[in-house]
Amino acid sequence: MFGPSNQLLNNLLFWVSRKKWLITTFFISISIFYLPTPEGLSPEGHRTLIIVVTALILIISESIPIPAVALLILIMEVVLGVDTPNGVASTFMSDAVFFIMGSLMLAVAIVHQGLDRHLALVIVKLTGNKTWRISFGFVGVSAIMSSFIGEHTVAAMMLPVALTLLRNSGIKIDRSSNISTLLLFSIAYGCALGSIGTPSGGGRNAIMIGYLSEFGLANISYLDWMKYAYPMLLLEIPLAATILWYSFTPEKTIMDSAVRKLKVDVSKSGPLNSDQKLSIIVFIAVFIGWIFLSPKIGLGIVALSGVFLYLSLRLVEWNDIASRMNWGIVILFGSAISLGIQMKDTGAASWLAQIFLEFFQLFVTDMTIVSWLFSVVLCSIMTNLLSNAATVAVLGPIVLDLGIDPIIMGMATSIASAFAYLTIVASPTCMIIHSTGLVKSKDFFKAGWKLFIVSIVLLFLISFIYWPKLS
Amino acid sequence: MKILIAISSKKYSSQTLEVGMSVAKAFSAKTTIVDVGDKINQFSLKEVGIAQERMESWDLDRPGVDVLEWAFDFLSKNEFIEKNEIESGFPKNTLIERGGRRSEVFLKGTVCDDVSLILRNGEIIEELISEVQKEVYDVTIIGKSQNSKKDYELSQYIDSSIFIVNNYKPDRSYKILLVINGLSGTKKAIKYSVRIAQAFKIGIEIIFTSKDNVAGSSLKAIEEWAAKFLRRNKINFKSSFEFGDAEKIINKKSDKNHILIMSSEKSNPLKTFFRGNTPLKILKDTQSSVLIVK
Repeated sequence: MFGPSNQLLNNLLFWVSRKKWLITTFFISISIFYLPTPEGLSPEGHRTLIIVVTALILIISESIPIPAVALLILIMEVVLGVDTPNGVASTFMSDAVFFIMGSLMLAVAIVHQGLDRHLALVIVKLTGNKTWRISFGFVGVSAIMSSFIGEHTVAAMMLPVALTLLRNSGIKIDRSSNISTLLLFSIAYGCALGSIGTPSGGGRNAIMIGYLSEFGLANISYLDWMKYAYPMLLLEIPLAATILWYSFTPEKTIMDSAVRKLKVDVSKSGPLNSDQKLSIIVFIAVFIGWIFLSPKIGLGIVALSGVFLYLSLRLVEWNDIASRMNWGIVILFGSAISLGIQMKDTGAASWLAQIFLEFFQLFVTDMTIVSWLFSVVLCSIMTNLLSNAATVAVLGPIVLDLGIDPIIMGMATSIASAFAYLTIVASPTCMIIHSTGLVKSKDFFKAGWKLFIVSIVLLFLISFIYWPKLS
Repeated sequence: MKILIAISSKKYSSQTLEVGMSVAKAFSAKTTIVDVGDKINQFSLKEVGIAQERMESWDLDRPGVDVLEWAFDFLSKNEFIEKNEIESGFPKNTLIERGGRRSEVFLKGTVCDDVSLILRNGEIIEELISEVQKEVYDVTIIGKSQNSKKDYELSQYIDSSIFIVNNYKPDRSYKILLVINGLSGTKKAIKYSVRIAQAFKIGIEIIFTSKDNVAGSSLKAIEEWAAKFLRRNKINFKSSFEFGDAEKIINKKSDKNHILIMSSEKSNPLKTFFRGNTPLKILKDTQSSVLIVK
C-alpha cells in the first residue's frame, strides 16, 4: 500500500485525472477573460459569456456536482461584476423557479400515493392484450399524463407496470429482447413528447414563459400554451408508436397471460382509498388553478398552493418531499434563469444573435427559416447533451433576440428541447429506463434519430402553418 | 485480511468470483463482493431513486440485485456461507442502503471470515477506489476489462493490492510466475504467492530480475529467504536469475498458463503518473492473470 505522503500525492493525481475538464474549464475561462472585449459587446456581456462557457462545460462534463455549478454561476456573476449581490439574488428567484420547485414537490406527492396500480388497470383495460396496442397505449398514456404532471413522475409510475408485464410475459427478458426495449421506450418517448403539451409538462416551458414575460415580448397563459403545443403532442403519439414498433418489433405480438396476471395482481390493491381520491382532487384543483388563476397569481404560486394542500391534508409528509426532491436541480434552474437574464441585460444575448445573423446573411436573405432551424436544431442537439431546462435557459435569450416572432421562436425552442431521444443523459426518463438494465445505449440512437427528424419536420409544419393562424 | 471482489454479471464474472473466493479462502479473509451498477447522471439521481422505489413496491428487483443473487447462489453452492444462511435464501429484504449509493447485505462465512454483498452505483474506478479507501481492503480482485486503460488506472490509483483475473479456466493447469524486480514489497509478494499456490495447489516459478548483469548481494539474500520460506511451506518451486529489462523478460516468460505475481514498484506517484512503471506496463499486454502486490 502507499505511504502517507505518496498516498496524498496519489489521491491528488487521481483527482487531477478525474477533473481534467474542471482544470481545462478554468484555463479556458481565464483565457477568455484576458481576450479583448469584442466590438459591440459590453465588458459585462463579455464576462457573462465567460460564465456561460464555464457553466456549459461543467454541466456537460459533470466534473463537479450540478448544485456546485449552480452556485458557481451565482458567485461568478457577483465576483466578475456582472451584477450586484442583490441584483443576482432577485434574478435567481422568480415565478418560474417557484413553478419548477412546486412541480417537483407535486411530483413527489403524487408518486407517494401509489396510484400506479390503478393506472395499470386503466391501461390494460384500454389496450387489451395485443402488444402493439399496449405499446401504443403506453406512449399515449405517458404522453397525456406527463403533459400535466411532469415526465419523470409518469415514468416512475409507468415503469413498474411495464416491468410487471414483461416479467409475466413468459419470455426471457434481457437487453437483447425487443419486447422490453419497445415497452420501455414507449414510456420514455411518450413522456418526452408529452412534456411539451402544457407549461407543467417541463420546467423549461415555465422558463420560456418567464423570459417572454420578463423581456416584455408576450404573456402566454397555461391555456394559450396548450393551444400552441397540444396539437403537436397529439400528432406525435401515433408517429412515435409507429417508429418504435418498427424499430423494435417484438418477439411476441400478444401478451395474453401477462395482461391477465397483471389484472389479477393489481386488482388485489382494491379500489382507490380516501387519500388517493383526495390527492386526485387536489391535483385537479391545481390544474384548474393553472388554467384560470395563473394569469393573475402565476403558475408557481398555484403549484405551491397545491403542495400546501398536500402537506396540510397530510397526504404527504415534508420529510418525504425533502428527501426525494432534487434540490440541486431547483438551484441550477434558478441560476440558469439568472444567467439568462444577465445575458439579456448585458447585451451578450443580442451580440451573439447579431453574430449569427451577420454570418447567415452572407448566404441567405430571408432569415426566418434559417433562424428557426438554427434555434431548433441547436436546442435539440444541446438537450441531448445537457439538461433541457438549462438548454432553454441559456439559448432562450439569444433566440428571442433573433428578430423573428418571439412566440414562434420561444415556443419552437422550448418544444425542441423535449426532443431528448438520442442519449441516456438526455432526460431523467431516458436514465430511468436505462437504469433497469434492459436497454442498451445504442438503442437510444436506433429509434431516436428517426423520431428526432420526424419531430423537427412536424414542429416546422406546426410553426409555420398552424401557429400563425393563432396569433 | 480484507478482500474485495468486484463482479458485474454471471456472464462476465463467474471466473472472477471463483478465483476471488479461492483466494479469500486461502487467506481466511473477510470478503466483500461488490457489483458496481451504471453511473446515474446527476440530473436524474433522485428521479431514478423514486422509480426504483416504485419498482420495489411492486416486488420488482432493482438493477444489480440479480447479480448479488447470483453471487449468493454461487456462495451457497460452494458452501462458503453458513447453512442457515443458505436455507433462508438470498436476503434481499436486508439489502440496507448505507450512505448514498451503497447498499449492503451481511452473511456469515464458513471457510473465510464474514461475507458481505454490496451494490454501488457510479463510475467503476471511482467507486472501487472509494470503497477501498473507506473500508481499507488488502486485496481487490477484478476481471480484466476490455478497456485496458481502466485496469491501468485502477492499478495505478487503488490503495490495495490488485488481482486482475484474465482468461482463467478451472481445467487449465496453472503455475505462479513470481517476479522479483527490486526489493520493495518483495517479502509480501512471496507470502501472497505461497497462499495462492496453496489455494490452487500449484507450484511457483520465481524470476529474479536485475538491470545489471550480475545479481547483487541483496537480491541473493532475498533468493535465499524465499527458498527457505517456500520449502518450509512445502511449495514446489524453481527459481532463476534473469538480467536485462524486466518488462521484456516478463513478457517473454509469461503466458496464459501463468498467474503472474509482482510487487508494485515504490516509485514516485508523479513519475508513475507520467511514465508508468513495470507492473502497469506489463498489465497492458499480458494474457495472464496478474496480482500486483502493494
